[in-house]
Amino acid sequence: MITKLTPARPGRWAATVATIALLAGLAPGFAAAQDAHRGGTLRLVSVSSQGTLDPHVNYTSQFWQLYAFLYDGLVGFKKVGGPESKEVVADLAAALPEVSNDGKTYTFTLRKGVKFSNGKEMTTDDVVASFQRIFKVLGPTAGTFYNGIVGADQCLAAPADCTLAGGIVADKAAGTVTINLVAPDPEFLFKLSAPHASILPAETTAKDNGNAPIPGTGAYMVKSYDPNNSMVIVRNPAFSEWSKDAQPEGHVDEIDYTFGGTEEAAVNAILNGQADWMFDQPPADRLAELSTAAPDQIHLAPLSAWWYAPMNVNLAPFNDVRVRQALNYAIDRDALVSLFGGPALAQPVCQVLPPEFPGHVDQCQYTLDPGDSWSAPDMDKAMQLVEESGTKGEKVTIVTEDNAASRGIGTYLQSVLSDLGYEAAVQTISGDIQFTYIQNTNNKVQLSISQWYADYPAASNFLNVLFGCDSFHPGSDASINIAGFCDKGIDDRMKAAIALGATDPAAADAEWAKIDGAVMEAAPALPLFTPKQVDLLSTRVGNYAFSNQYHWLIANAWVQ
Amino acid sequence: MLAVILSRLARMVVVMVGISVITFLIFFATPGADPAARIAGRNAAPETVTAVRHDFGLDRPIWVQYGVMMRKMFVTGDLTSFVNRGQKIVPTLTAAAPVTLSLVAGAAVLWMALGAATGIIAAAFKDRLPDKILMGVSMMAVAMPVFWVGEMVNLVTQSRLHDTWAFSWVPPLGYVPLSESPARWFLALIFPWITLSFLYIGLYGRMLRTGIIETYQEDYIRTARAKGLTARRVLLKHATRAAIIPVVIMFGMDFGVLVGGAAVLTEVVFGLNGVGRLTYQALKVLDLPMIMAAVLYASFFVVLANAVVDLLCILIDPRLRRK
Repeated sequence: MITKLTPARPGRWAATVATIALLAGLAPGFAAAQDAHRGGTLRLVSVSSQGTLDPHVNYTSQFWQLYAFLYDGLVGFKKVGGPESKEVVADLAAALPEVSNDGKTYTFTLRKGVKFSNGKEMTTDDVVASFQRIFKVLGPTAGTFYNGIVGADQCLAAPADCTLAGGIVADKAAGTVTINLVAPDPEFLFKLSAPHASILPAETTAKDNGNAPIPGTGAYMVKSYDPNNSMVIVRNPAFSEWSKDAQPEGHVDEIDYTFGGTEEAAVNAILNGQADWMFDQPPADRLAELSTAAPDQIHLAPLSAWWYAPMNVNLAPFNDVRVRQALNYAIDRDALVSLFGGPALAQPVCQVLPPEFPGHVDQCQYTLDPGDSWSAPDMDKAMQLVEESGTKGEKVTIVTEDNAASRGIGTYLQSVLSDLGYEAAVQTISGDIQFTYIQNTNNKVQLSISQWYADYPAASNFLNVLFGCDSFHPGSDASINIAGFCDKGIDDRMKAAIALGATDPAAADAEWAKIDGAVMEAAPALPLFTPKQVDLLSTRVGNYAFSNQYHWLIANAWVQ
Repeated sequence: MLAVILSRLARMVVVMVGISVITFLIFFATPGADPAARIAGRNAAPETVTAVRHDFGLDRPIWVQYGVMMRKMFVTGDLTSFVNRGQKIVPTLTAAAPVTLSLVAGAAVLWMALGAATGIIAAAFKDRLPDKILMGVSMMAVAMPVFWVGEMVNLVTQSRLHDTWAFSWVPPLGYVPLSESPARWFLALIFPWITLSFLYIGLYGRMLRTGIIETYQEDYIRTARAKGLTARRVLLKHATRAAIIPVVIMFGMDFGVLVGGAAVLTEVVFGLNGVGRLTYQALKVLDLPMIMAAVLYASFFVVLANAVVDLLCILIDPRLRRK
């Protein structure tokens, strides 16, 4: 998923976040106190906006964070901080769906009396139209999240005539919607919780709606949006809270989001009390100052993400597994962490699944003493493997993005490759082009630096998406299996694990841990580190809560 | 006169067509430029990428795409971005233009006034203390990069001394439309104006000083002095008037280029979302429609400013009128 789309989980911050969650859930007396926090305006800043406002099209964490309180799906992730934030709860549906027909049929009963911000009541017509619209607007995940719905094939082939006949069946009188899948999908509720499955009014145009706000059912609505200047978000007048977990009524009356300036200026503005929060990460060179000048205003949380360096398993020298393993042994993961800003901003990692992610079990094969965690590089082993492979002296080009961290890592990998006896070079490309460039096999990229952020908390979202045979499309700019890794045995095991998840999630997670190990043994990538999210808030903001899925829950916060 | 204007217009069209074709070709020659996969989103299915490519007309021959883009930009006005899907290019550009115009016009007034004063005073006191001080400061102004000056100004006014009596009046970074509040518009632009004009004051001051000193060697200056004119009259009416021509020509160039987007560094540092920042953002994400519109907009202003300057020169220098 998109670089900036970064659901995450609290690790060592669990304690802090849990305390806040506990406080929020405490006693009616506290609830009364919360009312005192109602009102005020939150002022958010960001260097740039992120394009279209259409929730069926936009695929960036910046706007997904806003969709959390603007739109609803049939189900949604719980809007609380802490580990509970990855739980799915009923949202526009009155309860979680009844699953029948061996996990292929989901029946939802809609809540009654829910209104869109234009005052119109939400009905089954809107639900059916919204699912069709995902395909009609050529939604980015139409072919990857929602392709399992009956009739999705035709919709992908001819989007304009999409009906999903047989896939989405509505009973308007009873207020129920039935979704039929081609095969059981244990991750289907996660996919329905994504903003791409938001329920919009049936009359919404079947084209990308661009900068014009579409009415939603959330606690707030967009009053105006100019991508080059600002967005103004106000309370949805037609909203009344139906579930605090799914869509809490927010504290603030208005949210003003301005776009422009620099990260540097945003930090100053927050310290001066001219702004309340910045979307972009504060510049690394200001962090030391911030940690002493304003320690209470900084919030850190590990993300469900990884920085990694895919090695093209179809191009020399990385078509030899020993070379890939050698590089994994040779890199100093502590050095990589310092390149990203130090242990406060990242933690070393040598496996695919991020810490505390479903299916994650601490394991590290590529270290001095293989075991649970990484300790130090094993250069002797690496040299020996390179020697055995007979690839010494070959040329390797590392393709990096044009930001400081990516370039720094590229230069570091270049030095490691030189130590191992290769002739290494770094090629830097604009970050927005690099991501599609490294995916296309025609560009013959051997080694590159990239990131992946989870869409939803399921191991397959990392392993199957990044290293599954289905994600490898030679000659296409959209081929997310950048390493071109397709191992029949592992692919079958991943498919089996997905299926197993439908009946026995615990056993499936155990199997994912083993698959994680098996993938790392084949070493199609260099895991670099797990990044952390830094939120800098002004002193007037209270009730900070961090959700795995939406990051800082803006609507849960209050201002003094 | 009509013929002059028509030939000017014809030249402008030729320049703009040439620039747009070159921009277009460079874009499609860039590796990895194909926007279809980027528009479709991360991990999009191949069917989706194909559908998007077709929807945006990216599967049509390149000259057809060029024609369609020009038609959408100039005839129907509904050209939309490749990156910020649904964002209409022409209204976005027209919304950003007043910001850049306010910044550059204000700075231009400052730098022409102060630049001229610097040059004239320095020339009048040639090789004496005021000359040396002014030329030293000018050299510094020319040598300091504008983004650094801007960040330093911000450091002082927004961070380190923000809470003191000297700078507590400085509003937060950003633009306030003139129509909303002229006073706040003015306050918000004071430091951006100073920052942007600093370099040009130095540059123009040095140029004018050299020009005046050279002009002092001319015969007509000697004649003027022989007639018994005062030193001040010789300096202002005769020497400066002749020496300012190259400065005005350069002003036309600089003004056009800055309005067209070259003030990007000042805009970004001060959070002014003008044409320069728009162009910079479009370049960063390879947003072809926005790049095309911004480039054509910039070339229009450069050509226009040059035409205006030619007229101005005729007004200033009677010798040009006789030809």
